[in-house]
Formats: sequence, structure tokens, C-alpha cells
Amino acid sequence: MSEEAKFMIGRIYFAIFGLVVLGIGAVEILLGVTGRSLEWGIMEMSGEFLLWRGLILFFAGAFYLSSIKNFADIHQQAKIVMASLMIWIIAGMQIFSMILESIPGGEEGGWFNTFEGFLASYSAPYIPSLFLLPFSLVVLYYIKLQKEAEEPINQWEKEERYE
Amino acid sequence: MKILLMGHPNVGKSAVFNRLTGAKVTESNYPGTTVDYTKGYMRLEGKDVEIIDVPGTFSLEPKDKAEEVAVKMLKENKDAVVICVIDSVKLERGLYLALEIIEEGYPVVIALNMWDVAEDKNIWIDVEKLEDILGVPVVPTIAVSGKGIKELVSRIKEASPIDIEKIVEKAGGVEQ
Amino acid sequence: MKLSVDERWDLIDKIAKQTVKYGVYRHTLKDAIAELTVKPLTGIPFAIAVLYGFWSFFCAFAGFFTDGFFVKLFDNYWLPWLQEVFPGKGGWVYYILVGDPTADNCFEAFGMLTSGLFVAIGVVLPAIIAFYLFLIILEDSGYLPRLAVLIDTALHKIGLHGFAVVPMILSLGCNVPAVAATRTLETRKQRFMMATLLAIFIPCGAQLGIMLEVIPGYVGFVMIYLLVGFFVFGFILNKLIPGRSPEILLDVPPYHMPTARNVRRKLWVRVRSFFTTAIPFVLLGVVIVNLMYLTGFLDWLADVFEPILCGWFGVPKETVGPLIAAFLRKDLAVAQLSAIEMTTYQLVTSVVLVSLYFPCVATFAMLIKEGREGGWKGVAQYLFGSLAALIVVVFLWGGLVHLIWIILGVA
Repeated sequence: MSEEAKFMIGRIYFAIFGLVVLGIGAVEILLGVTGRSLEWGIMEMSGEFLLWRGLILFFAGAFYLSSIKNFADIHQQAKIVMASLMIWIIAGMQIFSMILESIPGGEEGGWFNTFEGFLASYSAPYIPSLFLLPFSLVVLYYIKLQKEAEEPINQWEKEERYE
Repeated sequence: MKILLMGHPNVGKSAVFNRLTGAKVTESNYPGTTVDYTKGYMRLEGKDVEIIDVPGTFSLEPKDKAEEVAVKMLKENKDAVVICVIDSVKLERGLYLALEIIEEGYPVVIALNMWDVAEDKNIWIDVEKLEDILGVPVVPTIAVSGKGIKELVSRIKEASPIDIEKIVEKAGGVEQ
Repeated sequence: MKLSVDERWDLIDKIAKQTVKYGVYRHTLKDAIAELTVKPLTGIPFAIAVLYGFWSFFCAFAGFFTDGFFVKLFDNYWLPWLQEVFPGKGGWVYYILVGDPTADNCFEAFGMLTSGLFVAIGVVLPAIIAFYLFLIILEDSGYLPRLAVLIDTALHKIGLHGFAVVPMILSLGCNVPAVAATRTLETRKQRFMMATLLAIFIPCGAQLGIMLEVIPGYVGFVMIYLLVGFFVFGFILNKLIPGRSPEILLDVPPYHMPTARNVRRKLWVRVRSFFTTAIPFVLLGVVIVNLMYLTGFLDWLADVFEPILCGWFGVPKETVGPLIAAFLRKDLAVAQLSAIEMTTYQLVTSVVLVSLYFPCVATFAMLIKEGREGGWKGVAQYLFGSLAALIVVVFLWGGLVHLIWIILGVA
């Protein structure tokens, strides 16, 4: 596949993905502001800091969408990396706290959780970012493309880079 | 010692000024005109040094009131060191003003501001070579993010008056 | 010699030919991301995400150790065992070391070996470790100075520059190194302002940890309330204090991956200093407050301050005990508050009071030390200056919480 085709696919992909992220963010902001929550199948929008998570997703979505124009440009690529990082922070912290919560036995139980309790901690519903996480990993492919394109820098310019 | 910040309008001179002085600047109206210049202080090797943000000017042959003020500020501060802020994307135009100031016998430091924009536009300036030809310190800066400002300050002391003939010689002569 | 206009342009032409080139180099992805994180439009949302991560990590980590294990250990095993085996029940030694013999949790017992150890080890230690772990990663990755650049504009309004965010963030760990970090600020005015504001408004990691235990739902409110206070009083101090506030020149280092070795080393240094400087103060605090209670001094103080505490701040007079303890350790004070009977809103008010109120003794010592550069006059300036600011703030900002509750109709 040609370089152009790869970026074309990425462009369409992140346009759609960005819209989804932006939409979920907007819904979470609305719920957060009105103090309500929503459960939809195995997805839930509730809990502490819903408003903040909504804001972060909203901006992440906006970054994806704003990267569509001139998609192959390095600065636009940086935007999709940053938007993905923001999703990874939310999802990563959610997974981290799920793991930590699954281990102790709880107020009435023993020192450690029972096996059933342990498994139950990982059951649905999940917050939206966990569903968005796998789809955002596509960005890794584009990071790889960029890394390959970054070489080589000629000698004269190397001297001039002043960092 | 005084420091004058000079350069074309809109080259990020004020951003440099704010970086150098901090928030609390005393603003004064220049008597007799409606044009402001801004005065502030910066720390230089443990001492407070007065620094003046001169209104933007394209050359030392004033075309309007603001430029008149700028030229007047320069003439009134014979002992000043001039930090000439140049837009890296428009090096040639900025150099014109810088050369004029050098010809007047002022010690000059050149800040190649908006270095990031020049980078984006694939414009590369050989800073060492430029320093070599001009004989004055040249520092790439990105005033909005504070990059290079520290180096700029540390090199103020290297500024000294340069004879324009030396520059002409280094550059390979001029045609009449 | 001076050149004519044409000669000058000709010269410039020659110089430019030798120095300007049009390269093919493109930004690396790292450069581009580094730029995005300092530009407000993209940088601020990213900063929100990072701070969200910081907070989630802090809560999850501290909750895991404290709620998951330490509460159980101290309440179900340590406390009943001590109450059982410690001799001299009813005597004053028992009271000081074990506390209330009928208490069924370590928040209420209030003995040196029960509440003292529980607060220090069970609650504050995990909070401190969580806080510093994340902070060190932020420091080492190079994100912290970028946050400073972002917050620059807001801090400029109160006469400080972006780099002042570093003492502010350090302060969330412990006020003592934060006050020391104000040395990086340029003028005496800036240093004094920052040190005073930090000591008054920024709760330390120990206090944050215990607040999460005592008023989990209101920590956000308290934090925002204190931060707003920081800027309001910063603005006023900036107007009142003579002197200038020049910029600090700060170079933003490139991003890089933190190394495990460095993180481990820094974390250890900070945790060790917690053991040597904080824990003794917590234990001492319990002893002093208990002694004051036993001698009846505390009751007397409570009666004396009743008009102010009940009238102005709307909190029970018993809070005088925690306020005394707050001078030694704020975490201890908050723990002690939780054992006093009062409404949630009164509890939130008293937590705000404890935060604003006198910096803990270690911070106080540090303030004096920082003032010393100006000789005795300097110490006096620092001391009385901070003290005056503190009294005004406690009354105004502390009273305002009460007013907010009255307006909301919950006081």
C-alpha cells in the first residue's frame, strides 16, 4: 500500500473515531453537569469525576477531528498521539484502580478477596474510555510510520538543531 | 547600563520583554506623544538592570510618530545595549535594522525570535556563521515558550560595538 | 563609516546567501508533541488529563493500602489487642498512649500508639508514597516545567511567574521543601509571597490523604476553595507588598523517559525524611493534646474561644483541640476532627480552618529560616508578615465558608 493510501485510511478512521469520542465526551459533560448517570448495556457513564472525564474525552475527540486536515503532517500526527494519550490516561487509571480494588477483602471479609469477588470486580459495566482504548491503539501504527520517515537528517541541519 | 529592546512591530518583542521582566512593569507615557514605551527591570548577574521595550520600527529613518519615538529612545540612551529582536522567517528585513543600529555604534545582541516558525517553514539559519560575520552574539529564541531566553540573557555581556567595515569585509565586500 | 541604503541591502544579501538555507528537515514527533503541550489550546486539555491521572492514581493507591489493609489491621487487631493487654486502664499513661478504652476504631481512640500510629503509618504514609511517585515521574519526564509555562499567565496576575508552580506542586507533597523551593524565586517580595501563600493555602500530601478518609466527597470542594483563596489573596498581597516581581528565566528541557533507578532513589529520600521528621511530630502531637485534655486546659481554651468558633465559623467549640494539634501536624488535626460530633458541613468548615490555620511547626521553622537572610529584621518581617496575612485569611476565608453554608441553608 502506498504512503498516501495509508494516510487516507488513517484520516477516515480518525475522523469517525474522533466523532465518537467527541460525542461520548459531550454526553458525559451533560450528565456530569446535571448530576445524572446513564447505563447502556455493558457501558456506564457515572461515578466521580464524570464531568472531568467527559471534558477530557471531548477535547481528545476535538483533537482527532482537527487533525484530519493535512493528516500526514507531523503536527497533525502529534495531535492524534496526544488525543490517544489522553484516552490512555483515563482508561489506564480505571484499569489500575480496578486491579487494586479487586485484591483486598473489603470491610467485612478477610485480608484478601475471594476468587468470586476478585472476578466480580472486573465485570461490566465499564466506562466508555475502556471501549475506546483498543480503537485508539491504531495510533501506534502511525507513530511507527513517522519514526520510519524521520530519518535521515543531513549533517548541516543537525548542527543547527539547538535543543 | 540600560537595555533597549528594538525590532520590527510584531516580531514578538513584547513577548521577549515579558519573559525578561515578569509581570510587574511600570508603564510610562512618553511626553508629548501618544505612543507608549514600556519600562521594566530584569536581573542580570545579580543586578537589576533597566530594560525598555521600544516601539516597533522598521528602520532608523522614521516614517511615523511611533518610529520617531523609537529613534529618539535610541539617541537618548547612548550607553545602552540593544537587543535586536528579529523574526527568523524574515531575517533580511530584520538585519537591515540591526545593521543600522550597529552602524550607530551600539553594542548589539540579536535574538532570532520565532525560531519554531522558521523551523516549520524549513528555513534554516546558520547561527554560528551569522555570528562570525556580524561579530555580535546571535541567539535563536522562542519567546512565547521561553526557549533560548536564558542564553540570550547570558550573552548580553558579550555585546560590544562593531565596526561596519569589518562586517563588510567578512561578508566579502559590497558593490557600490 | 555608514552605508547607503543600497549598500546595506547588498550586504544583507551577501550575509543571507551564506547563512540561510532551506532544509528538508521535518520536526520529529517528540518535538511536535512537546510544542502541543505548551500551547494553551492543546496544552490545557492535556494538563487536565494529566492532573486527572494524578488524582486517580493518588486515590486508588492510597485507598488500596489504607482502606484495603491498614484500617482492618489497626481497628480489628491492633486496637483491641492494645486495649486488652495495656496495663493501668483508666490511668493517665493509658489515656495518653492508648486513649479511650471504649473506642472501636483508631480515629476515635486518640492515643499515641493507636491514633498516632494509625494516622502516620496507615493513612499518611501510603498517601505520601503515591503522591511522590507520580510527582517524580512528572518531574523526570520533563512535563512539570511545561505545566509551569502553561500556568504562567495566571500566576503573572499575582506577581509570580510560571516557575512558581513548582513550589506550589511540591507543596502538595509537603510544605517544608516547598518553602525551601521558593529560593528559586528572584526577589524577596516573590519569595515572601509564595512562602506565605503556600503555608496558608496549600494542604500537604499528609493532609490530603487523611481528608480522603474523613470527607471523601468534599475534598474537591475544599481544594478548589483553597486554590481560589490562593489567587485572591495572592492578588491582594501583590498589591500590598512593595517590591518587584521579575521573571525567572526557565529553559524547558526536552521530554525523556524517567529511569526506574532515579525514581526509586528520589522516592526513598522523600519517604525516609517522612519517617524521621513527620512521624515523631504526629506522636508528639497526640501526647501534647492528651496532656492538655487531662489537665483541663483544653476545656478552658474551648470555652474561651467558643464565641469565635461557634459564632464566626459555626463549628463546635471542641474543635479547639484539633486546632492546637494542627500546629504540630495537620493530618493529625483532621483525624481528630473526625472524632468530634458535628454535621458534615461543620466538618468541612473545620477542615478548611485547619488548612488555613497556622502552618505546622516544621513549615513554621522553615519560614523563620528563610526570613533569616535579611537578618533579624528579615525574620521579623517574615514572621509578622505571614502571621498578619494568616490571621486575616483565617477570619475572612474561614468565615466565608460559614457564610456559604448559611446562604445554602445548611449551616
